[in-house]
Amino acid sequence: MLTDKKLLQDLTPEIESTGIRWYITFSVFFLIFCVGIYALILQIDKGHIVTGMRDNVVWGLYIVNFIFFMGLSYAGALISGVLHLFHTGWRKPVVRLAELITVISLVIGPFFIFFCIGRLDRLPFLVMYPRIQSPITWDVIAISTDLVGCFMYLYLSFIEDFAILRDYKELKVPPWKRKLYKALSLGYTGAEKQKKILSNARNVMAAMIIAIAIIVYSVLAWIFGVTLQPGWHSTIFGPYFVIAAVYSGTGLLIILMWIFRKIYHLEEYITKRHFVNVGVLLTIIAAFYGYFTFSDYLTKWYGSIKMDSLLIDKLFTDYYALFIFANYVGILIPCIIIAFPKFRTIRNITIAAVIAITALWVNRYIIVIPTLETPFLPIQDTRPDWIRYSPTWIEWSLTLAGISVYGMLFMLVSKIVPIISISEMKEQDPIEIMK
Amino acid sequence: MIKVVMKRMITRTFLLLSFLTLTSNFSFSQENAKISPSVTLQYFKDNDDNSILKTILTYSKNRMELPLPGMKIALYSGTGKKVTLAEVITDEKGVATYNLKHDSDFSTDENGLWPFSTLFDGNDTIESGSSVLLIRDVKLSMKLTDIDSIKTIILKAEKTEKGKMVPVSGELLSVYVPRMFSFLPIGEATLDEAGNASIEFPSDLPGDIEGNITVIARFEEHPEFGNIEKRTTLKWGVPLTSYVHSSHRALWTKTAPKWMIYTLSILLTGVWGHYLFALISLIRIRIDAKRKEELDNYGKVDL
Repeated sequence: MLTDKKLLQDLTPEIESTGIRWYITFSVFFLIFCVGIYALILQIDKGHIVTGMRDNVVWGLYIVNFIFFMGLSYAGALISGVLHLFHTGWRKPVVRLAELITVISLVIGPFFIFFCIGRLDRLPFLVMYPRIQSPITWDVIAISTDLVGCFMYLYLSFIEDFAILRDYKELKVPPWKRKLYKALSLGYTGAEKQKKILSNARNVMAAMIIAIAIIVYSVLAWIFGVTLQPGWHSTIFGPYFVIAAVYSGTGLLIILMWIFRKIYHLEEYITKRHFVNVGVLLTIIAAFYGYFTFSDYLTKWYGSIKMDSLLIDKLFTDYYALFIFANYVGILIPCIIIAFPKFRTIRNITIAAVIAITALWVNRYIIVIPTLETPFLPIQDTRPDWIRYSPTWIEWSLTLAGISVYGMLFMLVSKIVPIISISEMKEQDPIEIMK
Repeated sequence: MIKVVMKRMITRTFLLLSFLTLTSNFSFSQENAKISPSVTLQYFKDNDDNSILKTILTYSKNRMELPLPGMKIALYSGTGKKVTLAEVITDEKGVATYNLKHDSDFSTDENGLWPFSTLFDGNDTIESGSSVLLIRDVKLSMKLTDIDSIKTIILKAEKTEKGKMVPVSGELLSVYVPRMFSFLPIGEATLDEAGNASIEFPSDLPGDIEGNITVIARFEEHPEFGNIEKRTTLKWGVPLTSYVHSSHRALWTKTAPKWMIYTLSILLTGVWGHYLFALISLIRIRIDAKRKEELDNYGKVDL
């Protein structure tokens, strides 16, 4: 396959060589990962007593991280699917990042469920004796289906690049990488017939992963929604979770754009225009997310059901700072930064994205924990420490280990395929890129 | 010159801070060397009139009571000249139990109470601790009978006083029924002068499939009697009739409602059908590429 030489020269150096900074960063991530493994061994050896989870608060940081990572995944799928289907011109340099967010988040997220399960030896029972009435079974089916779909979609979007890299004779990579490109490209040559087949498959899968993302994240929301717990039993939890997921995913996309633009010197390809466009998307979603948040809490507050009132009181006392940050700062600041043109710099938009994604994590925390600290039935003879959840270093270590693996996987993928799709970019109007 | 002075000052400050840190750590570790345990002694008398002494050895850490397992506990009876009853080891919950022998003649104090005591000697890391308990032997009996078609629990308690059995009066007894997670309180009754009390049993409590239900009467953590329990199982409950026909479909039955199966099947068929389409597309690309390769090779051979 023939491709613009400049494109190849700009986008392949990171595949060809690895700098010392890459190794240092990777080592730091790996070290954090090792601490996480040590924490996991301690947890398996001593049991969940080493975590902050007790009789009342049985879901802690692990479930918060699970929902958060799954949300990032579905957001990646939605963003990449929508941008692909609507043939959005500016999408090309950023769409691969969205696709990678989808798959990498989906690989990491479920591990937090494994950390949360006390009896891992009983995990196969979920598959051996499934009850489709159980939302947990829905989740198992949904996540595994989504994982297969997202991998397929990612692979379909990679085939053309594998073929380009296979045919790029000047590419200085070890023989195993060449063999890998050859095998994974399936002999694709860019012939009209092949192009048509691939394009049809990508369109179908793009539509499919949008639908799956919405359904699967709604299923996750329904695990909470169908539970008769204060704060969870809500009919709008499905769409609320989907919107919140897209919000966090868009934020992460901006952060990754900033990181890869900076370290791989992609200023020519990922321009201010991309930041502004994704930033505007972030603002629109922030408005929707704010609307859902307000609707959810307003109806609960006005209804004044005893347990809902207790929960809202708790949110405005014990969790006051977190609540204000997640639901006011996390929505208003990104909106203000991006709404006013004079604030729209690449740095400011990235700061807005960092605020948005942090707020979303905190939002997940205040959805999960305060509810469990407000049980309908007060358990007899419960120690105060069992009612109030406080994560331990074990949980924080495993959380950081998850983030480290996230970083490591992105770093490894960027050494096999370009972080910007060459095949997409070769059809890009150079003037469009420079805008 | 100023630079040298500054350097010297920084170095001295650093050394002073290091010294203070080290010494403060040392004194901190000295202060926290020994654990101060909590020793609790309890007396239990079960349905078969077996008497048990239970010692709980714990310590407080981060506002949590944590057990001290594997510790040797000595149990004694008497006050002045103590008689060693046994030496027992605490289990993983920090609990050590000892069954008192029925035929033992325990010495009594001036009020006719049995003095029991427990002692933990301590070790290099844990301080010693002890606890004392004064117990009066009580005989509790429970009779379940229908009086004018009303299910009635009749309770009687007698205590040993000056070698004689006399009625226990004015004391509170609680009655429970065990349920799935805890004990359901049925009622409380105060013993009259004759040591008798009666409680009406509700007629609508569900039992097992045959209507069996267990009734428990208790003195709970009584300062003089300890914990005494009587229990009886009889057909006083409403027989469980929640038998569900195997073909019934609901959220809680083995077989799921049909709508759920249909919805899930349609969704999964739709999604995996599209996956199949994508997979077939990949195979078609591979076949087309192979055909092209073969044609190219054929051309090369021809040349």
